Amino acid sequence: MRRQVGANIPKVDGLEKVLGEVRYGADLPAKEPLCLKVVRSPKSHAKIVRIEMDEALRIPGVERVFTAKDIPGKNLVGTITKDQPILCSDRVRYIGDPVALVAAKTSEAAEAAANKVVVVYEDLPALNHPEEALKLNGPLIHDKGNLLFEFHVIKGDVQKGLRESHLIIEKTYQTTWVDHAYLEPDAGISFLDEKERVTVVCPTQNVHYDQKEVASVLGLSLDQVRIIQCATGGGFGGRLDITIQCLLALAVFHLKKPVKIVYSREEVFQVTSKRHPLTIRYKSGVKEDGTLIAVEVEILGDTGAYASYGPTVCIRSAVHATGPYLIPNVKVRSRMVYTNNSWSGAMRGFGVPQMAFAHESQMDLLAQALKIDPLEFRLKNCLRNGSETATGQTLMTSVGIGETLRKVKECRDKANHSREDPKRPFIKRGVGVGSMWYGIGNTGIANPSTAQMEIDPNGEVRLYIGVADIGQGSDTVLLQIASEGLGIPLKEIRVIRADTALTTDAGATSASRQTYISGNAILDAINYLKQEAIKEAGPLLNMDEKDLFYEEGKVKARTCLTTSLPVREVARRSGKVIKGEGSFDPETTRLDSKTGQGAPYATYAFATHLAEVEVDTETGKVRVNRVVASHDVGRAIHPKNVIGQITGGVAMGMGFALMEEYVPGGTTSFVNYLIPTSKDVPEVIPILVEENEPSGPFGAKGVGEPALIPCAPAILNAITDAIGERIYHLPANLERVLETVRKKKAGNSNH
Amino acid sequence: MIPPFDYIIPETLEEACNILWEAGKGVGVIAGGTDLVIGLRNGDHSPRLLIDITRIPELRKIEEQDGRILIGAAVTHSEIVSSPLLKKYGKILSDAASVIGSPQIRNLGTIGGNIVNASPAADSLPPLMVLNAVGKIVSREGAREAPLDQLFKGPYETNLKPHEILVHIGFEKLSSVMRSSFIRLARREAMAIARMSMAVVLRIERSSNLIKDIRISPGAVMPRPQRMPEVEDFLKGKSPDEAILKTASQKVSGVMVLTSGVRSSTPYKAPVVEALFLRAMRSCLEDRG
Repeated sequence: MRRQVGANIPKVDGLEKVLGEVRYGADLPAKEPLCLKVVRSPKSHAKIVRIEMDEALRIPGVERVFTAKDIPGKNLVGTITKDQPILCSDRVRYIGDPVALVAAKTSEAAEAAANKVVVVYEDLPALNHPEEALKLNGPLIHDKGNLLFEFHVIKGDVQKGLRESHLIIEKTYQTTWVDHAYLEPDAGISFLDEKERVTVVCPTQNVHYDQKEVASVLGLSLDQVRIIQCATGGGFGGRLDITIQCLLALAVFHLKKPVKIVYSREEVFQVTSKRHPLTIRYKSGVKEDGTLIAVEVEILGDTGAYASYGPTVCIRSAVHATGPYLIPNVKVRSRMVYTNNSWSGAMRGFGVPQMAFAHESQMDLLAQALKIDPLEFRLKNCLRNGSETATGQTLMTSVGIGETLRKVKECRDKANHSREDPKRPFIKRGVGVGSMWYGIGNTGIANPSTAQMEIDPNGEVRLYIGVADIGQGSDTVLLQIASEGLGIPLKEIRVIRADTALTTDAGATSASRQTYISGNAILDAINYLKQEAIKEAGPLLNMDEKDLFYEEGKVKARTCLTTSLPVREVARRSGKVIKGEGSFDPETTRLDSKTGQGAPYATYAFATHLAEVEVDTETGKVRVNRVVASHDVGRAIHPKNVIGQITGGVAMGMGFALMEEYVPGGTTSFVNYLIPTSKDVPEVIPILVEENEPSGPFGAKGVGEPALIPCAPAILNAITDAIGERIYHLPANLERVLETVRKKKAGNSNH
Repeated sequence: MIPPFDYIIPETLEEACNILWEAGKGVGVIAGGTDLVIGLRNGDHSPRLLIDITRIPELRKIEEQDGRILIGAAVTHSEIVSSPLLKKYGKILSDAASVIGSPQIRNLGTIGGNIVNASPAADSLPPLMVLNAVGKIVSREGAREAPLDQLFKGPYETNLKPHEILVHIGFEKLSSVMRSSFIRLARREAMAIARMSMAVVLRIERSSNLIKDIRISPGAVMPRPQRMPEVEDFLKGKSPDEAILKTASQKVSGVMVLTSGVRSSTPYKAPVVEALFLRAMRSCLEDRG
């Protein structure tokens, strides 16, 4: 059989997608579904005095208007802290908070009725800045206080380190809200299935989490709720939280009829999570020879109205604050605060892209002050096999940061970069680098995956896996792993995925974890299946189990080269289903609550990007001409898919760097939220550094989030290289770039 | 949700005028619909009747008549881009049309729609302003000619009466001694509303190297499309050297601030409008060979 791992096979979902045959949420068929429409708060902070629905109910076709009173179970959801109501009962906390839900025979009637629901509010003071929200005796957004979470990483003695530093640089960095801009607005259907289970079919990154929340909201047991993931056009973290699931389920629970909901893009912008804006005060100390000796970092994040993944981002940003460098003295304080802004949640990188903007800007500032080449400076300080991280974890293997830096350096040194354009004197060109590290999987907590593989007597081979493929390619990659592990061609294995009635919990498609963690769970299942096959083959071959082994899809005898039985033949002849159940939970330790010390991840991915930009110094327009993206992903199971992730990550990183900015209460749609188009995206040169990870499936790690993280820092460093002045506030839009150019000019003329 | 309405597709201009006249209030005219339909969805307007003017032959033509170019109001941006006539005699307009929105928008959106929508950021308006374009407007009451600069009242506001239809827009062929340039700045390379733009038409007398004719119209910096006669008068009869252009550019930003007032965007827009003006002028001067 052809090797599967490392092969660029066609993606298994590719053909039906290019043929337009795939059914996304809005395309799902349902029998005469009632249409749902949400009534939302126009206020950012207010008490709900009363809700009047008489007029709405009089609109022909309206079946029912639901409010918080109709929720039979717990009216609070959230991945970590359960603080977000499905329908607000007494108070709204941001513009867009759901207050009532209309079910009607047509979407027109539902919308007309939603407009007729009268909600009487009493305004409460709104808090829009984290600093303001932290003030004593101010208004409280949640009863327990406005500080959602605080986390520290403390190593060595940062004051001593700073005292011993030859040079200290301290700057403050600011990032803003970013929308995921996934492909299709959230939409789905719900109905009672043949077993009377409340069944929700929708786009999601985690069916088993959705199942728990829906059951809790409805006061049902888990086996009374079924979640099926439909084709999902990306998530980037935006589909880790509850979006439409509980609304759909609530209506079906009461009405016992099929229902459907389709969000508009405007609604998606208003009511789904955003990337956390972080304010990062960053102080670095370095010795005269260019050795980093101390960093002190203060992070303040805006989680908006609800917790969502705020604690995760709070911790992850602190853990990754140093960047991929060896620093003996570290002190990080990270706080996450409630405000009445749009709620922030998971987004590709969980705070690390924001941190990389800060630590990579610092690296360039230090290198410049020390007059060291920025790549050499990174190479001097980067982690190596055997290095200890800021949380005290010793990384024994697969630390590929140095190699990604060397690969990028080769590219840079070969290229001939002219800084000027003789025909356009207003153009300045620049080159910049950005590096990152990223821990694969959840931070310092158990995050297991489970999988089953079976071969039935008819010869059918099945993989049962709870993983949501949201377009990133897990169906293909996990099948490659299964095929390679079993020694059975990929086309002959059927995958049953992301349906809570048929598959077991694999955890979320997030934290770049599915290839590594679910890939390992599948290999574990295959090991059990092999043992099972050997056990069943013994009597069939008249041999003792211990004289048999499994290889290339066959049970073979150790002593006789000609004696073997294909595993499917074993199933057929024994009349049994040959089965293996597997699981994997990466080896991590819990982080100390005071010092943040511990081993939060079993493995890390590393990357370095080099960006070449040109800046129009008269308009502030930045064009990114080329990005060299060097990634240590462990073994690339599907290199083309990895390159696809990298290219997409560059596009998203470019948007983060230059144009994307969501303004709560201001941004409405793609008219005023701009993301890069195909005409903006630069040439991308991907370089795969495959540092084998011994604990990964066939040596693999992950790439989903790493693809994005180094891009914005590289672009910002390149802009600085071009114009000679740094931007500390993302995005580097027309106005900020021009202002910075003018500041530089004014500074020069003062000298 | 778009509320229901009637839809009529008249085949002749007369028929369209009659329907508009008789229908009275609550009637809208639709061509490409790239602006109108967004307004319908947002609930900005809810007409009971829409009249689709895209099948009226007079509105669909680009033609040359007595030294003038006439463009039917329902001619699409894509058709403008691919017209050899416009490439030859009104290149500044085809340049501007080629960067509007995306191919889909250019295939649907029309020049007439771009005019009557009267967005301060409309891409075809600064070029039409420097081409001295004149609109032909008809209704059952008769026909009238409306120079473009008299048509606009303010942002998204024209003085077109509810029963009037813009039939075509016309301008004198740009002679080969005239140079023109359209410069556009946006936040990304496609599908973005112009942050700012600049249209310039220039004629230099060869013998004297003096500016004989100059027309300037910036986009997206003032409430309505406008020329800048103060700057044009300053430049006329002068030699286009760097010092003169620099002074003129400062006058451009001065007129902008005077017209639009000092806003939070002024610190950005003032230097950039000067730069765009200088680039447009230099492009015209280089073009001269």
